[in-house]
Amino acid sequence: MKEKRIGLHTFMAIPAFILYSIFFLYPLAKGIGMSLTDWDGITKAHFVGLDNFIQFFKDKRAVNDIRTTLIFAMGSAPLLNIVGLGYALLMDSKIKGKGIARMLIYLPAVISPLIMGYIWYLLLQPGRGFVFHFLDNLGRGAWFGNWTASYANSMLVLVLVNVWQYAGMTMVIYLAGLQAVPLELYEAARMDGATAPKRFRYVTLPLLIPSIRINVVTNIIGSLSVFDIIMSLTGGGPGYKTESLSIYIMRMCYGSKTGYSTAVALIMFFIILIPVLVSMRLTKAKPME
Amino acid sequence: MRKLSKVSIYLCVIFICLLCLIPFLVLIILSLNSPQRVFYEGNMFIPDFYLKNFAEGWVKSNIGSAMINSAFITALALIIIVLLCSMAAYTIARFKYRFNTLIFAVFISCMMIPGIINTVPLYTLMIKLHAVNTLWGMALVCAALAIPQSTFVFHGFIKSLPRELEESAIIDGCSWFSSFWRIVFPLLKPAASAIIILNGFGIWNNYSQAVFFLQDSKKHNVPQALSVYFQQFAGAKWNLMAATAVIAIVPVILAFLLFQKNLIRGLTEGALKG
Repeated sequence: MKEKRIGLHTFMAIPAFILYSIFFLYPLAKGIGMSLTDWDGITKAHFVGLDNFIQFFKDKRAVNDIRTTLIFAMGSAPLLNIVGLGYALLMDSKIKGKGIARMLIYLPAVISPLIMGYIWYLLLQPGRGFVFHFLDNLGRGAWFGNWTASYANSMLVLVLVNVWQYAGMTMVIYLAGLQAVPLELYEAARMDGATAPKRFRYVTLPLLIPSIRINVVTNIIGSLSVFDIIMSLTGGGPGYKTESLSIYIMRMCYGSKTGYSTAVALIMFFIILIPVLVSMRLTKAKPME
Repeated sequence: MRKLSKVSIYLCVIFICLLCLIPFLVLIILSLNSPQRVFYEGNMFIPDFYLKNFAEGWVKSNIGSAMINSAFITALALIIIVLLCSMAAYTIARFKYRFNTLIFAVFISCMMIPGIINTVPLYTLMIKLHAVNTLWGMALVCAALAIPQSTFVFHGFIKSLPRELEESAIIDGCSWFSSFWRIVFPLLKPAASAIIILNGFGIWNNYSQAVFFLQDSKKHNVPQALSVYFQQFAGAKWNLMAATAVIAIVPVILAFLLFQKNLIRGLTEGALKG
């Protein structure tokens, strides 16, 4: 079968590559050039060197947005993994109705995060939401303060809603990882007298590394590029406090600061790249001993 | 002791399930309240069963046409993804040409880059291509974003298929290209269904690209239509907001119930093979 004929099969990767080049690679490369200009999207662009980048770090709103994005990710990504792993451990035990429970827990993850944000808004709006009225009927309305006025509380609500929505997704991946752990290993560890926490630490956890890797990486990327849920839940408020970098890019682009917003996108690219590379390094598959 | 821990596991699982369901139940209650009932007089858990909300929400939000747009975008994007990525994955998995290796390396290294990074320069390109506010433009953008991962999943799947399958056809005078379509492509069903389901929900729900590329109200997809509709209320008319949200999520929930087995299988296989 060593026929050296050039057939159509030689070119089968080209259509996918062309589409990807036009709609992804070319704009990505062009963005680097645009980030060095003061282009407003309409008139002629002037080369400004690294001005946009300098301007970015001088802009209080931009620096605040980096902080918000990082806080959101540092809350969301670990919590999603802890909660998802907890759910998976619960669901890995022999119980009835597991299939239905898994389905219900996963359900929020297929719904648009934008719409989910609106739904939570109807529940949580201060002084008017369903939860407030529920507490108010119990005479405990005062428990429910105006969280939208406080940066810390707004961030807390955003992180919790995000974790609520996507815990099912991390759970499903951890569950698959847990089910791949051979039962004999547990038995052997039990025979050796390992306690449950020790079995988890020395048997389960090392074998979960592939699941941890995929969950950590996807959650870091997902939470650092958060957009929808903030748009619908707080709209970036109070003020611009809970605005994420993605929203900032969109608003700057609409504000005719095209060159500047591509510079922000490049900065965001590195903000995502670094933790992703670090976490991939840390969870690199080690050969089994 | 064993029994006690079993009971507590059940209680935990029931609690978690309720936690996941409650927002949806509240949404349904809110969607059935009459416009006059703002402050939950009487029992807040018993709605007024005011069904006109759904009719009014449907008409005023334009969600019907948004659903058609979303369906068109999703379908077109998925067809492109399955055809292009399966073809690319096939030649990459079977033939070690230098540019195949190169293309695959590019896909793998770009797999992690979220769409928002290139959206602004892409927007200027889309204007030049007259692709802004077109459904096909949005479908191509969504398809392009899904190419690396889908090629990757197809690649893993094709690698697991024995090469002998096509070789006998080649001996019979079939070209590699047509043996792909005749023999391999029909076998890709499990991988294709995983890719379709995983990307389908994401494309249907896409908002961060739709904000840029579907600004014309006639071309809105579901999240865009809903966000524009909700913004004009500024927090009032909850009954309509809730009813429209119910309308918007019903197709997604139905699709999820229909495909959930494949979805969870696809998610775990697609993810863990990486």
